[in-house]
Amino acid sequence: MKQLVEDIAKALVDIPEEVSVREVQGEQVTVLELKVAPSDLGKVIGKQGRTARSIRTILGAAGMKLNRRFTLEILE
Amino acid sequence: MTERKYTASSIAPRIEEFLRTVFAGGGFDLEFSIADARPGEDDVETPDVLVKFTGADVDALLANRAELLLALEHVTMEMLRMPSEDHSRLSFDANDYRLLRIEELRLSATAAAEKVKRTGTPFRFNPMNSRERRVIHLALRNDTTIRSESQGSGPSRQVVVYPAGMASLPEPPPTAFVPRGGDGRHGRDTRPRGAHGEGRRRDSGPPRRGPRR
Repeated sequence: MKQLVEDIAKALVDIPEEVSVREVQGEQVTVLELKVAPSDLGKVIGKQGRTARSIRTILGAAGMKLNRRFTLEILE
Repeated sequence: MTERKYTASSIAPRIEEFLRTVFAGGGFDLEFSIADARPGEDDVETPDVLVKFTGADVDALLANRAELLLALEHVTMEMLRMPSEDHSRLSFDANDYRLLRIEELRLSATAAAEKVKRTGTPFRFNPMNSRERRVIHLALRNDTTIRSESQGSGPSRQVVVYPAGMASLPEPPPTAFVPRGGDGRHGRDTRPRGAHGEGRRRDSGPPRRGPRR
């Protein structure tokens, strides 16, 4: 799932080398912390947060297959 | 729509590579075909390029008002760097969802118009994306006894239908949280919203109105 977020983010940004994802396992939820270049923040968030919301939807659907909840945090 | 701006041959390789990566990473069992859309397939909007999905996970794709389908479509368009005014030029579909949804929206528009005429009071639709709002506005454009306009911003923007002479109502205050999709199906939207201003939901809390689907 870390790979999924990383792949999507890399496809969206201008500077893919600066994309990194950290996975933090919790009891119920796995948190995925996405970091991108400051200039790319808008690309992963999108207008009105629509891109971030779309990534979360994809992550949620993928997580359902694994019976696990994933949370995406975009770090600034 | 005006002349073609995108063709399957120009964007299909990138779409294909991207979707294969996403499907592999997310464990989705989906196949797809990418083709130039034939004009006239749909009289409301004919995209330039159509991506059709089949496979075991089509149900997941179309769940919650095709939430996943639309999310994949949006992220793909962002990946292609399509400016937002071009977003109706690429369409993702499965099981003719898009066409059926347009029919459904037209019926809802007609029902809403009847209700406004009968009661003389405005009718507020559930929040919709811009493409869906456009279908409603188009469906009502020839009816001179009513008017329609979009209100609100972002994910909570919604169409309101008024009697022709009535002034617009103020925007509803942001109050209770309305689950996304707002169509009466239970949303499982339990994800915390980021604390950094993205996806700030000014979800207004009008009583759920609009035709039950």
